[in-house]
Amino acid sequence: MVITMSSQATAYLTGFGRYLPGPPVDNDGIAPRLGGDDRVTDRIRRRVLEENGIRTRHYALDEHGEPTELNEELAVKALRTALDDRGIDAEDLRMLACATTMGDALVPGFGSMVHGRLGGGPMQVLTAQGVCASSLAALDAAAAKIRLGDHPRAAVVGSELPSRSLRQSRFDGASARMDAHFLRWMLSDGAGAVVLEFQPHPTKPSLRLDWVQHVSLAHDHPVVMRSGMEGLDPVVGRTWQDVDIATAAAEGMFVLRQDISVLDALAEAGIRQFEHLVDTGMIDMRRLDHVVCHYSTNRFRDLAFDGIRRRIPTLDTDRWYSNLETRGNTGTASIFIALEEAWHDGRFAPGETVLLAVPESARFSFAFAHLTVVAPPSMQATPTEGS
Amino acid sequence: MTTTEQATLADRLAAVWADFDARLEQVPVLHRLAQGTVTLDDYKRLLFNLRQQVVDGSPWISRAASNFDIAHFELRTAAISHAQEEHRDYLMIERDYVAVGGTLEELRAGRKNIGSEALSGYMFTYADRPNPVGLLGAMFIIEGLGAQRAAGWARRFQEVLGLADSQVRFMIYHQEADAEHTGNLEAILSSGLIDEEAADEIVRCAEVVARLYVLQLEELDR
Repeated sequence: MVITMSSQATAYLTGFGRYLPGPPVDNDGIAPRLGGDDRVTDRIRRRVLEENGIRTRHYALDEHGEPTELNEELAVKALRTALDDRGIDAEDLRMLACATTMGDALVPGFGSMVHGRLGGGPMQVLTAQGVCASSLAALDAAAAKIRLGDHPRAAVVGSELPSRSLRQSRFDGASARMDAHFLRWMLSDGAGAVVLEFQPHPTKPSLRLDWVQHVSLAHDHPVVMRSGMEGLDPVVGRTWQDVDIATAAAEGMFVLRQDISVLDALAEAGIRQFEHLVDTGMIDMRRLDHVVCHYSTNRFRDLAFDGIRRRIPTLDTDRWYSNLETRGNTGTASIFIALEEAWHDGRFAPGETVLLAVPESARFSFAFAHLTVVAPPSMQATPTEGS
Repeated sequence: MTTTEQATLADRLAAVWADFDARLEQVPVLHRLAQGTVTLDDYKRLLFNLRQQVVDGSPWISRAASNFDIAHFELRTAAISHAQEEHRDYLMIERDYVAVGGTLEELRAGRKNIGSEALSGYMFTYADRPNPVGLLGAMFIIEGLGAQRAAGWARRFQEVLGLADSQVRFMIYHQEADAEHTGNLEAILSSGLIDEEAADEIVRCAEVVARLYVLQLEELDR
């Protein structure tokens, strides 16, 4: 008998949860909450919405635009649904990895606040602060600790509450061109979570995490998405922390902006990263069954399809999954919210593979994760499989 | 002491070991391990049960050390340093147990199983004797198990259950540590300190400990 020396454990996704605050808000419900109902803004909003294709989304705001929850509350509610889905408690966790663009407070770290609200016992906490791809950065960190055998169980959550800073008060008196409108009418609130373990779920299918790849191209790209600075270049003495808060607000530093002129280049760069994974054998196109992709607007989906068709002319777009149109663009939460819905809708069958893809425009980052659906151990043919 | 007598002690211990080894194969959890049908719960139960007895390892060796008179200074020295080395072993089991999802609270609230009670009781009683030379036979079994079997079990648990190295530290560590201890033991057994009467005691103690150790592995959680 040949004994394989395996020094690492395997990480499995065994529980999936999400939390979307309030009722779904259709396109006509946006202005009552976020404001911007003048004629010009209304025209811009319609144009942006037409392009991004989002039909409904959720806000942690009441019908008058008043906040109803904290970001940390969204995170905890998503975590609890993921824990319930797995049938375990917060006490069973040894690590919590939280991804968000902005926590509720500047200090402490978001992860500490989420742990404080979630409860459970002592655990390792990580805050992956970034934009969309920080979701998979958090997943990667937790999975690495599971593989090392340092922790038997971890939870990962991506959570966002941008709506409160998309309200009219942020825009009054501040210069806001398309660079601000693009995100204002695109982003919304929500949280998605997964449970990671070193063993598959005992009685239900799990997703084995095969690998995570996360690359930043910031060395080669200027800032694309920003808040808290004046222009595209950070300047000493000219960030929101250097000037008076009133000055920062008047200059529109607190408005979240996106340079939309480079978005086609972002899509191209993302496709190149994908092709690199195919070329190096990380993705076997003959065995790739599903793609769950985060993107901000439907236009990028179409660009991605075109790009992938160059490699696979027979691409079956039914295998491509996104719930952008109904759940909105929730930043770091998006990929987990999409995965949860695809998983619980029963789209995946044991043996199939799933690619998660998360391009991040902020300064050109791309994250991918490869998963394989595994049947519960009780239903596997050979007991030593997976060793 | 002649070389013939030393060979005889080694032969007699080898026979005890062969019987012990055959019995180990019949222990249900080890049989499942060999078959590849062992579960994560089996591994946790094994760690849980071992821990309740391993916490007594250093105390019985210390007690034995205190009962060696000055004429047995070398054995006293060996026992003192061995007790020191074993002193924190149970902490490694605790780390492994937590690393596979158990809690320290449940582990520390545990009690010895029937076999562990018998084994521990025998060791302490034996260690209370003046100059308990026979305990070298106990060491022969326990350290031999660590040196010759523990790492193989660890690798097999890893293979079947997909465990990381840091989840099987106790068993892997014992391959190295106990190989060193058995080396020391062989030096003592062939040092001329063992007369015929002592050899009989060593063999008898090895037989009893081998049987009680198997009992400990058979009576998991009982």
